[in-house]
Amino acid sequence: MDYATLVRCWRCADEHPVTLFCPHCQAIQQLLPQVDYFSVFDLPRNPVVDEAVLTSRYYELSRRLHPDLYQTGTSEEKEASLKNTALLNRAYRTLRDLVQRGQYWLELQGEQLGRDNNRVPPALAALVFEVQEQLADVREARAANKGTEVTAELATVRVEVQARFEQSCMTLEKNLAQWGNTNGTSGTSALLQQLKTCLSEIAYLRTLLRDVDKESEASWNG
Amino acid sequence: MERIVGIDLGTTNSLIAFVDGDAPRVIADPHTGDPLLPSIVAFSEDGQTVVGSAAQAVLAEHPLTTIQSVKRFMGLGMEHVSAADHRRYRFAEETGIVRFAIHGRQITPPEVSALILRALRERAEAFLQEPVRKVVITVPAYFNDSQRQATKDAGRLAGLEVVRLLNEPTAASLAYGLDKKEEGLIAVYDLGGGTFDISILRLHIGIFEVLSTNGDTRLGGDDIDQRIAERFLLAGLPESKQHDPQVASHARRAAEEAKRSLSLTETTSIVLDVPEQNIHVARTLTRRELEEAVDDIIARTLGPCRQALKDAGLEPREIEAVVMVGGSTRMPLVRRRVGEFFGRTPLTDLNPDEVVALGAAVQADTLSGRRKDMLLLDVVPLSLGIETMGGVLSRLIERNTTIPTSAQEMFTTAVDDQTAVDIHVLQGERELVQDCRSLARFKIPIDPHPAGIPRVGVTFMIDANGILNVTATDLRTKRERSVEVKPSYGLTDEEVERLLEESIDFAETDVEQRLLIEARTEANTVLHATDKQLRQHAALLHEGEVEQISTVVKTLQDALQGSDYNLIRDLIDALSTATTPFAQRIMDTSIAEALEGKELSRV
Repeated sequence: MDYATLVRCWRCADEHPVTLFCPHCQAIQQLLPQVDYFSVFDLPRNPVVDEAVLTSRYYELSRRLHPDLYQTGTSEEKEASLKNTALLNRAYRTLRDLVQRGQYWLELQGEQLGRDNNRVPPALAALVFEVQEQLADVREARAANKGTEVTAELATVRVEVQARFEQSCMTLEKNLAQWGNTNGTSGTSALLQQLKTCLSEIAYLRTLLRDVDKESEASWNG
Repeated sequence: MERIVGIDLGTTNSLIAFVDGDAPRVIADPHTGDPLLPSIVAFSEDGQTVVGSAAQAVLAEHPLTTIQSVKRFMGLGMEHVSAADHRRYRFAEETGIVRFAIHGRQITPPEVSALILRALRERAEAFLQEPVRKVVITVPAYFNDSQRQATKDAGRLAGLEVVRLLNEPTAASLAYGLDKKEEGLIAVYDLGGGTFDISILRLHIGIFEVLSTNGDTRLGGDDIDQRIAERFLLAGLPESKQHDPQVASHARRAAEEAKRSLSLTETTSIVLDVPEQNIHVARTLTRRELEEAVDDIIARTLGPCRQALKDAGLEPREIEAVVMVGGSTRMPLVRRRVGEFFGRTPLTDLNPDEVVALGAAVQADTLSGRRKDMLLLDVVPLSLGIETMGGVLSRLIERNTTIPTSAQEMFTTAVDDQTAVDIHVLQGERELVQDCRSLARFKIPIDPHPAGIPRVGVTFMIDANGILNVTATDLRTKRERSVEVKPSYGLTDEEVERLLEESIDFAETDVEQRLLIEARTEANTVLHATDKQLRQHAALLHEGEVEQISTVVKTLQDALQGSDYNLIRDLIDALSTATTPFAQRIMDTSIAEALEGKELSRV
């Protein structure tokens, strides 16, 4: 939690650092929306997360915060429970998933992938070209009612894209592992650049996989 | 602590349950002992309504004014109504939300559902001897926001506070998990009368975590009945007869009966008898024929199963138990197909009709604060997004996100002195707005400033019911801005209020009337049952018994013409007394028949 900021308990007016429950009267407290996801789980600000610890803390916190438990409570309690649980769920979803955690880490560094990041990452140019060509062939074949003949080729392409996707995910995992050792010193900007590159590759590969899947589905339904 | 009860508002049948001590139990009809209330509402010309088996009894005769499977229409617009629906009912309008045209009145699906809820409420109040005000109502997991909102409106119209909308497969998993004390990954396959859901859950020390859900809100036993009726009963008839509502209604009823018996036997007879229209079709039907005719309908459930597993990141073999819910899972074909898909025998030992209501009662107990050892973590079934330039959907909340959840977006103005921002919210998985389901349009007022200066933060919060709430804040002044909601396929708040006022007026002026209607309804049910037994088991009647019973029947029928509900009630009791020895003999005989042919040691 953010120990620098003091907040006032809605029930007993006790002043305390940001916590989930008032240390004085135990009432549920509404978290500030800008609280960072790691601190929600009382985890160190480190992009490498022990999934077992994360999940067990998520369950533990859900058992204390969930709106089901405040159904008979006051409107303040209900609101705090609803908003905190929404934040908890968002934080868990983000930290549990490698790619989302990577994106969140990038945001914490004050950076962001462009919303409409449609430029093909240079390292993927050859692959993207090949896939697009294949997809065009499939569309043509389907138009000529020869859909089933090309679905096998499409499957091969998919394996190739999937392999490249997994490779980028591994790069991301390695990149995140290195952040713990930087302590905010030099080397950070190179890591940041690599993080950005591999996240944008992953985003692009996902779109590509979706296009391939859509095309093969269309061929099946012929 | 105020009691909260659980309601399964089903397509075919509805149930109400509560927690009795520690265990959930369903409240049965006090007279028939049947836990199921058929979800059928009949409207008579004089504005009266009957619900349940009494409505079922008049269904074939009055198919246009007796609403069945109303759940299929909840939260829909007229553009979603099929050609078959158009043949079956009369609708008041061609556009906008669904409104049935009944005896010159317009009646919306939430109003019909409210009548079913009211009947259940009265059943529970009579049994518990206390007012029932708060309820948990179950909905298909794959219900979208409009369908959920319509269900909530139905609760309000029935004078109930809907404390929570609970997903049906999740409710079933609760009843299952508490009953079996199991942990691990389970799949709940829920094929009901009109809807299909598949949910994948992780059960872990009292936490029921939904990992993913999928389904089809217009797929169920009704489709199977329709197919049997078309294929085996209607096919040989002239087209005008096939589409005749009365004929079609009889055919569906016969199809349903044949389907039920083919779950137990290999061969059955199926009969369509409408003497008024000179129609008589009779044939035998084998289970194999039935299965061939409906296999493609069952197969349609497997796509959603595949998608749900994919979304949960699991393979079929990783599922440790498959729980079957909904009456349609009694079909051997369904059990076989599901078993093949998951590579394991599905669990069928829970009563598939009752398990959802029981789970709802358990969750109601938790929400009332009495139970603290379990927690449900459910998800939103469909992605939620807003319309952006060029009719493209910008997704804010992905499907299968755990609820409650929220997303923030910042909006600004495009022209000088713009005084409002319009936001169009949709639900669905496709990229283009035209392929997704419109939920609502929100208008957010803005103080006039040069373009791009205003900054409005909009929060989209999906609560624990899976229902969207939108709030807006002016980021410069930090002031909350009001949000004006136009639901795409729902009743506006004003409309709900108006209907509510009308129904309260009705309820308060007509307590006597209601008691009379109830007594009449019950009398009709009892008379109907007596008549059937007399015809079926004539051989079991003793001398003089027919005359004795007939006298009471006649007196009761006469009393039905009058309005003395106390007299009607007394005569119902008298009839029951008169038929008791006869009923006893029927019971004895059927037990004897059931035992016949079995070895004594196995009895």
